[in-house]
Amino acid sequence: MKYLIKHTTCYNYMDTVSLCRNIIHVSPREYENQRNIFENITVTPTPEIIEFQKDYFGNKVYFFTIEKPHKNLTIIAEYETEVTPKNYTGFLDQPWKKVIDLLHIDSSIETIQALEYLYDSYYVHKHEDWKEYASKSFQPGNLFLNSVMDLTSRIFNDFKYQPNATTIATPLHEVFLQKSGVCQDFSHFQIACLRSLGIPTRYVSGYLLTTPNPDKPNLIGSDASHAWIQVYYPGIGWFDFDPTNNLRPSDQHIIIGWGRDYDDVSPVKGVILGGENHTITVGVSVIGAE
Amino acid sequence: MINTTIQKDHLPHNQYLLENYIPSKLSFDELKSGTDIRDHWKIFARSLERLSPGEFNRRWNEAKEQLRINGVTYNLHSDTRGMDRPWQLDPIPLLISENEENHLIKGLAQRANLLELILQDIYGPQRILKEKLLHPELIFANPNFHRACHGFKPAGNKYLYLLAVDLARNSNGTMHAISDRLQSPSGTGYALENRIVMTQMLPDIFNNCNVQRLAMFFRSFKETLKSIAPNNKDNPRTVLLTPGPRSETYFEHSYLARYLGLTLVEGGDLTVRDNKVYLKFLDGLHPVDVIMRRLDDRFCDPLELQANSLLGVPGLLQCARKGGVAIANSLGCSFMEAPSLTTYLPALCKIFLGQDLIIPGVPSYWCGDHDSLKYVLNNLDNMVLKNAFTSRRSEPIFIETLSNKKREEFIAQLKNSPQSYVAQEKLQLSTVPVMGENGIEARPLVLRKFLCSHNSGYSVMPGGLCRYSSCPSTQLISVQQGGGSKDTWVLSSGEVSTFSLLNQGTDPIEISRGGSDLPSRSADNLFWLGRYTERADGLARLLRGIFLKLIESLKIADSAEIKSLLKILSQYSQSFSSINSENSEKEEPGNHLISMVYDRDRIGTFANDLQAIYRTASSSRDRISIDMWRVISTLEIPSNPELNMMLEQPEHSNLITILDLLNHNIVVLAAFGGLIAESMTRGHAWRFLDMGRKIERASQTIRLLKGCMIDVSISEIPLYESILEIADSLMTFRRRYLNKINPAAVLDLLLSDSSNPRSLVFQLNSLQNNINDLSKMKDTGRITPQEKSIMSMHTSVLLADIEHLVSSNESGKRIYLENLLNNLFLELSQLSESIAHHYLGHLQLSRHLSGSNL
Repeated sequence: MKYLIKHTTCYNYMDTVSLCRNIIHVSPREYENQRNIFENITVTPTPEIIEFQKDYFGNKVYFFTIEKPHKNLTIIAEYETEVTPKNYTGFLDQPWKKVIDLLHIDSSIETIQALEYLYDSYYVHKHEDWKEYASKSFQPGNLFLNSVMDLTSRIFNDFKYQPNATTIATPLHEVFLQKSGVCQDFSHFQIACLRSLGIPTRYVSGYLLTTPNPDKPNLIGSDASHAWIQVYYPGIGWFDFDPTNNLRPSDQHIIIGWGRDYDDVSPVKGVILGGENHTITVGVSVIGAE
Repeated sequence: MINTTIQKDHLPHNQYLLENYIPSKLSFDELKSGTDIRDHWKIFARSLERLSPGEFNRRWNEAKEQLRINGVTYNLHSDTRGMDRPWQLDPIPLLISENEENHLIKGLAQRANLLELILQDIYGPQRILKEKLLHPELIFANPNFHRACHGFKPAGNKYLYLLAVDLARNSNGTMHAISDRLQSPSGTGYALENRIVMTQMLPDIFNNCNVQRLAMFFRSFKETLKSIAPNNKDNPRTVLLTPGPRSETYFEHSYLARYLGLTLVEGGDLTVRDNKVYLKFLDGLHPVDVIMRRLDDRFCDPLELQANSLLGVPGLLQCARKGGVAIANSLGCSFMEAPSLTTYLPALCKIFLGQDLIIPGVPSYWCGDHDSLKYVLNNLDNMVLKNAFTSRRSEPIFIETLSNKKREEFIAQLKNSPQSYVAQEKLQLSTVPVMGENGIEARPLVLRKFLCSHNSGYSVMPGGLCRYSSCPSTQLISVQQGGGSKDTWVLSSGEVSTFSLLNQGTDPIEISRGGSDLPSRSADNLFWLGRYTERADGLARLLRGIFLKLIESLKIADSAEIKSLLKILSQYSQSFSSINSENSEKEEPGNHLISMVYDRDRIGTFANDLQAIYRTASSSRDRISIDMWRVISTLEIPSNPELNMMLEQPEHSNLITILDLLNHNIVVLAAFGGLIAESMTRGHAWRFLDMGRKIERASQTIRLLKGCMIDVSISEIPLYESILEIADSLMTFRRRYLNKINPAAVLDLLLSDSSNPRSLVFQLNSLQNNINDLSKMKDTGRITPQEKSIMSMHTSVLLADIEHLVSSNESGKRIYLENLLNNLFLELSQLSESIAHHYLGHLQLSRHLSGSNL
């Protein structure tokens, strides 16, 4: 599948900003299942410096700095991206306990590096409560991927998608109590559950197809950048799950990047001088480009 | 700060001093083996004997006074008021033999090399991870594995330029390395100050012992800093980045900055442009080439490291990545401080260097390893437990000191998250003689050694910082917990170099008379230092006036004069504005007055101002002379216990104490003012200090005049006397007018007499000169807003007609005077803001862009 993506972010400041410095994660990552046919980033006002780089996780980032006074900042990112579904042929799922054991036996570099996603990170901390919640989906003998999918469905059913119910700073325990939130909350919660069981799980930031499909309803979270998760299967690779939409992503999800949690891949991170309060508007459109 | 208790002459005769010292048989003692003094201590012991006990004590008291006056302090975290704990220095140094030092040099250099190689691997190819030389959890779960620091070579291709290693002996005397301080090692400055004080205290003994000097080490470090500059290699600008005066070792930061000739800066003073770092000066931005940082990794860059840090420099990491600036030590090295890593150093040393560790570590066990946990649980009483990843901000746990309940709780916690703990076998630390409260006694010690890297290896400081515990029975050694320190003498058999960094005369020096090289932050601090000193002086004089009147007429309500003075006083503090109003019964006026003197926690009080002086002066240590600092350190800042004591006692018995306090501080502040006038170069530093003083004094004179001259009344004449006394102009007045007090004469003296250094016009004259000088810095040919503002004020005062001003309207109000004073007061505060905005304006606070909610 090929997609045309346009991601617009606007900041309006109450007062003049004299200096701003940003790191942005908006470009689709390029790897075996994804490539960018076209990419373009426009920042207004024009930055004094804009640098392209890869971050620690191999995601594409832009650093930019604006040194002239400004009251608005607009970032427009446009891409044409091709996504091919992952194909794990000849693969047989195994009981989840066995998969976890494999993790510690296997000494391939992929597996060692996957352990990066097993420990606590800025937004996600392991906890007995999450383990208990997850255990219902991970009964003895259950197959690994089935269990993860079951957990995905339970989160989808137990939690209500409710924009503005949370902010990125809302702690997981609060999200769990109020049983509502947005895609980053659900992803963080599922990551916490799986890490508490000992399964390396990473946070994925990306885009979703926005054009309505005549047969299916529009996916939730497509009007902004989206988030979902990946779990690691030793010797095989990473499998995607989307708790916000209760499905396993194939080629309608375009990956920007992955990390331990939101903090590693947040779309726009920045420090400004001045500015007082600001409002932010984000728009994303993703259409098929056949 | 206030009370220096003079030590009683309680020491026995010195010939018996060391002989009477009896160390415990359980530990290795530094001085004695059994009852015999060890060989390398013998010259020291013999020299000490020749000193009479009285002389020894006298010198020690002098040394302590020296430390106090020099302001050597260590801030305690628990003390939020920023008052510092005086540095504790024991008069008997720790002696290290030449042989042992040679062994330590080899061992420390090997250790530094190993730590460097591990850091290069972790932030580079990660062989340690890929070959599972360490459990991956020790890397990935380490909160100080800063992923943003991965994948680039730091300037100079090294991570560690200055290291500190804590050493301790076990019971048979073998030195062990117990921990490493890598990201911003502290202690070199304290070691240096200890040395300076000790050589002044025992110069003869110091010379007899042939002690190696420290200066070469600092020169070597300075050269290293210079050598890593990516740009301006010939003359790089090097700054010392401090978290600020609230940091526990701030004394050391300013001390080292002065000693090494670096500019002391805080994060807010630096800015990143075009992937280079700049320092904000009064006249613009100047490039910075090398940063010696005393800021932890995580605080250094709010953009890429810990986002909520206000201490760092946004974009600093990207500069380092692009090679725009050198940072010593390089960002990311806190990773190697994790106590759990020391467990694996012997193995890693074999792999990386093919050697055994020369200085062994203490046997330790990372509890995340199943077998280790089992062993630790079976041998708990022989273990000290530490957080696996951070050695700071978490005290080690000595299991045997815990109550049964606490012990069970801890064991449960350990079993629940074993990976968070590392257990070290307990060391029976060696002991050293310390002059305690009850004479000489044996106390356990830890020795911090320092190394710096250079092109061909490492130099070890021939000395170190020896710290001993707060009492003989505790093995926990921490300055935070009340331990003390010793100078460390490394003995030499050969010649010792007498090189000194303090008086270098050989390098050619470019003659400079600039003075515009003042960082904006320093200008800001000096400006406020000026304002606070003058404010405290004015307030002290006003309070003294009120208390003197109180001695005459004991009831506040009886005297119209006192009422008027209290009204003036109320302008100093909003919270005290109720003194004169009807419903002021809540707090008795007498108590109000005492609080106004003693309460540190209320804004606008005298005690609060004195604290502000102390704070701004500490932040300006690199800009004011040692003598000026000495004067500041003799200020008596009232403490809260004193406040409570005062409030409990009947009012009148306090008056003398309060007057003493006020008088003492008034004299100290006058001395400070004298030094500013007589000893400071007329550069920008002086200019900002002086502007702060003049603006404050001008507004105080306006307050006094407003308080006593607006309303025509019968009580105004006696009030004038008080006002003149407060304005330090009574003597002049009497000489001119004898005892004839009339409003026009008072107003003339305090408002328009340019020969009276307390008059308003005098302040405006000085301000005008300063502002004109400053404007020349950026000569645009146009009049600056500050010049306009001061000209307008100046003119209105010069043109004012005294007779007109003292005339009153039919309701007995001097409305012309009131108008003039109100306008001047407003313009003055606008001028103050305008100066701050114009010259100090780029000290803006940065904030974070919040991300979008998905």
